[in-house]
Amino acid sequence: MSATAPDLAAPASRAGRPGSAGATRAMLRSEARLLARNPGVVVWSTILPVGASIVLASIPTIRKPSKDLGGLSFFHVYQPILILFGITLLAVQALPDVLTRYREMGVLKRLRTTPASPALLLFAQLALTLLVSIVCTVLMTVVPALVGASWPQNGAGFVISYLLAAWALLGLGLLIASLFHNAKVAAGFGTLLFFVVEFFAGLWLQRPNMPNWLRHVSDFTPGGAGAQSLTDSSVGHWPSLLHLVVLAVWGVAMSIAAIRLFSWE
Amino acid sequence: MVLCMFMIDVRGLRKVYGDRTVVDGISFDVEDGEIFGILGPNGAGKTTTVECIAGLRRRDGGSITVAGMDPALEGTEFREAVGVQLQESRLPEKQTVAEALQLYASFYARPRDWRELAERLGLLEQRNTYFGRLSGGQKQRLSVALALVGNPRVAILDELTTGLDPAARREVWGLLEDLRGTGVTLVLVSHFMEEAERLCDRVVVIDRGRIIAADTPEGLAAGVAADQRMSFVPSAAVDLTELQSLPDVYTAAVTGDRVAVTGSDNVAAAVIIALHERGIQATRLRVDQPSLDDAFVALTQHDEPAAETQADVEPESHPTAGAAR
Repeated sequence: MSATAPDLAAPASRAGRPGSAGATRAMLRSEARLLARNPGVVVWSTILPVGASIVLASIPTIRKPSKDLGGLSFFHVYQPILILFGITLLAVQALPDVLTRYREMGVLKRLRTTPASPALLLFAQLALTLLVSIVCTVLMTVVPALVGASWPQNGAGFVISYLLAAWALLGLGLLIASLFHNAKVAAGFGTLLFFVVEFFAGLWLQRPNMPNWLRHVSDFTPGGAGAQSLTDSSVGHWPSLLHLVVLAVWGVAMSIAAIRLFSWE
Repeated sequence: MVLCMFMIDVRGLRKVYGDRTVVDGISFDVEDGEIFGILGPNGAGKTTTVECIAGLRRRDGGSITVAGMDPALEGTEFREAVGVQLQESRLPEKQTVAEALQLYASFYARPRDWRELAERLGLLEQRNTYFGRLSGGQKQRLSVALALVGNPRVAILDELTTGLDPAARREVWGLLEDLRGTGVTLVLVSHFMEEAERLCDRVVVIDRGRIIAADTPEGLAAGVAADQRMSFVPSAAVDLTELQSLPDVYTAAVTGDRVAVTGSDNVAAAVIIALHERGIQATRLRVDQPSLDDAFVALTQHDEPAAETQADVEPESHPTAGAAR
């Protein structure tokens, strides 16, 4: 061992820490550039919810409290649904699409042959997806406020709810990328899951209008818990502990399952 | 080089999938700076073998040492020392050559200068071209570049030229020839004998998970099929039995207007002299040395390991194989 040390030990000892920070930056830059060159899925995932929330906010009657919605305005109910719409599309469609493609192409396996872990690519993809989603959410909050809708009354609650919902849904997307090795199958399943998540969030039947039993089921889904937490925060309450715990449990469970099941090839 | 005699040392490697033994006791060693070929038919266990050496698969038995390290431990140090080009591994369509090289260089502590590497591999002009727009040969050259960008001591290249047209194949071979003497130990996995003949210092032939031959490419070719083959178009009818009665001739056969003869080293001269004595000329004469291709076919066609059965290799089974080439 000692005989080969001068050649090998030196680069290896330097490789660990400073090298990997450089690799992380390089990977983030590279993935961001690729995303910018292939913006299709991301633009498609974000343009509809962002556009819809701005349009809804600019219509005065939609901002008025309504008896049908338990005293909430249509906007208060729909803004969280649209925010979840954006995260869900990014998480269960865009993210698994990219990751399963990378697996199919052998990019993940190639990374395994280098000192960088393929987990670096996973991290870069999660970070970028979250970043895009944050930008969308900011747009969906700030622009409506500028055209006359109210700001979220409980800002801290709103941010916490958003981050927990994003964690739960990104975890779900990661799990899809782990379970399905074919990009097309993953995309199909992601679409199906999108409708399920959005149904419980109240896209078709708003939560205040759901029958009690359905609303209770919805409370335990990432869509329902996420939508209610965001709505509570935007009218000035704190989100209920139940909903935050539900989101956190989904986040933990999905992340663990995805990490256990993820394969590089 | 002081303690470790070999850059790669494989002893009794075994890999089992379910109840199928894919690699069954393979042993070989590769010297520092050597270009080493692993040959064999599809499904012989070549890729599994190199993936164990590259630390991508866990072995079920035996020992492997690469540059003094055990690949099963898979540390950063190992990844720094070993570059791998995988079979059918692509890059994102819209990543340029320069971006890919820079990204992969960032993973290593002591990378090569990617510009120098791109220049050496003839990719400098394509540095701003998307991966998706590169030709097959350019993609493979980029793949080689990515395996070398970390400045490895060992580079493993799996089926490098499969799927390339002959011109692109030669282009990649030329590049690997240039790498000889730069201190990198190369392990090539191939089922192209021409590739091994041209590049490799030594080769092993693997079939059904075992090594059935190990030698230099020339040694392998000479050892398996010692017969000379010649073929020609005679200017007049030839009596085959008369040809066969010549001491240097083993077999003679006619295909169309061409006569194919196998025999000892001296067969060409003996046949031409005999024809001349009867006033017949041998036109469009062709004399073939046994090639690694012949050796490979002979080795892998037999049910039994062919190590000591060289005498059994019967050229009659393909009398025109040499001429057809």
